[in-house]
Amino acid sequence: MNDKTNPITPGAEHSREPARAARPNYLRLWLASARYSVVRAMMFRMDFLMWTLVELFWMGVNVAMVAVIYRHTDSIGGWSQYEMLLLIGTSMIIQRLMMGFFWSNIFEFGRNIRTGHFDFFLAQPGNVLFMVSTRKLDLDSLANVVVAIAVVIYSAGKLGLHPGVLDIAAYILLLACGLAVNYSLIVLAVSLTFWVIKTEGIEGSYFSLTEFSRLPREVFRGLANVIFVYALPVVIVTNIPARALLGGIRLADAAWLVAVSAAWFGLAVFVFHRGLRRYASASS
Amino acid sequence: MRAALNKYRHVFLVGLQGNIVYRWHFTLRATFSFFHLIVVFLLWGAAYAGKTEIGGFALDQTLTYFVTMMVLQFFISAFNEDYQISEEIRNGLINQFLLKPVNYFIYRLSIFGAARLVSGLLAFVPLLVALPLIHDQLAYPGEAWRLWLGLPAAAMSALIQFSIAFCFGMLTFWFLEIQSFIILSYAIETLLAGQVFPLDLLPPGIYRLSQFLPYYYQMYFPVAIFTGRINDPAAALGGLGLQFFWLVALLALARLLWLRGLRRHTAVGG
Repeated sequence: MNDKTNPITPGAEHSREPARAARPNYLRLWLASARYSVVRAMMFRMDFLMWTLVELFWMGVNVAMVAVIYRHTDSIGGWSQYEMLLLIGTSMIIQRLMMGFFWSNIFEFGRNIRTGHFDFFLAQPGNVLFMVSTRKLDLDSLANVVVAIAVVIYSAGKLGLHPGVLDIAAYILLLACGLAVNYSLIVLAVSLTFWVIKTEGIEGSYFSLTEFSRLPREVFRGLANVIFVYALPVVIVTNIPARALLGGIRLADAAWLVAVSAAWFGLAVFVFHRGLRRYASASS
Repeated sequence: MRAALNKYRHVFLVGLQGNIVYRWHFTLRATFSFFHLIVVFLLWGAAYAGKTEIGGFALDQTLTYFVTMMVLQFFISAFNEDYQISEEIRNGLINQFLLKPVNYFIYRLSIFGAARLVSGLLAFVPLLVALPLIHDQLAYPGEAWRLWLGLPAAAMSALIQFSIAFCFGMLTFWFLEIQSFIILSYAIETLLAGQVFPLDLLPPGIYRLSQFLPYYYQMYFPVAIFTGRINDPAAALGGLGLQFFWLVALLALARLLWLRGLRRHTAVGG
């Protein structure tokens, strides 16, 4: 890595190979961002605690919803109470990872296009999309990933599941695909800012769509099934990992999710780069 | 008195113009709410599979509850009034109200009224589009008393919502950042005001308890009157009494926070 261009660790070992200077060490860059985020969170400890609490409460809202509905019914789309809780826990894991790693970075990127601050990222040596996406971490969201995992483990315990190492590995892989899909959708939405400057309200669309992620695939019928299960990947991102953990993995489903995440990620990268060509900075 | 009314009438009219600027924002927001409604229809439709009633109510009654709540929300909910008030305190915009004979609470309330009129009417745009699809699922009881008790209940709910938002805005006098407080409280309100599920589906003890909290009166109560989840006029009347109590309490709290906050407030610059 070229340390001369890295403002975070100035004066560390100086690279002598120009070839290496052209390709930054992304892991180290990312770790530097992570360290910066931790330092920042520790500076504003009250803030960190408050936001962790906020996210915890919102997860509580979903758990309460499951508890109340299942007081009156035994099954929703064939899913029992703890199966449903496991599904919701899975969707929470993906969403909190999304918030923790990417959310505020990508929205800042949208704002930066509007203001012209985006120039700063173009000047950095490295993949622009990577630089834009990994600027900082939201530790309060990441703290809540632990709670979301606990919800999944609790549900699995209540269901008497004993997943093997392979099942858990598959679950994690499928979660990663789900995260990639979420990431791609947001990048796509915010990349629209390159074309239409006003894209407020897009966060609303993301949260509207993730609501569908908390529903079992079986409740979708007719047109809703076509749109939310097949056209938009918002239902399968949670249903396929959750199913993998519940009843052993189905290969066709797993392949479907992997293919869908690759396709959407490719599309997001493509649209982002097309937009980048249109970027003309801001006049003032 | 006439002069005072006239003063705030002008504020209302200016607020009306200001909010019509955000017509797309409100329409977009209302459209997202209909996505939420799709989720609600799918979820509750599946929960009712093979059942005729849940908690004593049929599927169409429960769906009517959610549709009514969504529409009413655009008429009575405080959206971002807390942030606006917080901004005005931070920017020193409130300083002018300390010098002029304008009551800041009533000033903000007039703007809130204008904003809700605009957003409420705009919420009908996606509703009218969706109406052919959801028309068969709507089942409203017809008694006249529901209107006579429901409308004042809705009006008081709006005032309660605004007062809560105002109180959160006042926290700016003490704290640098109030966003986390607001979102935290919003999670509690969403749950206990009945936006996630009708409160009567809670275990009876908790439901009873919820009736003594202000959240119950900020959304659930008027919606329950309109949609037939409260069926006893006498009970509704009693509820109005409790709602009035909470309204007065919150108004008093808003006043107290304003007076206390001003003591800490330093108007710097001009």
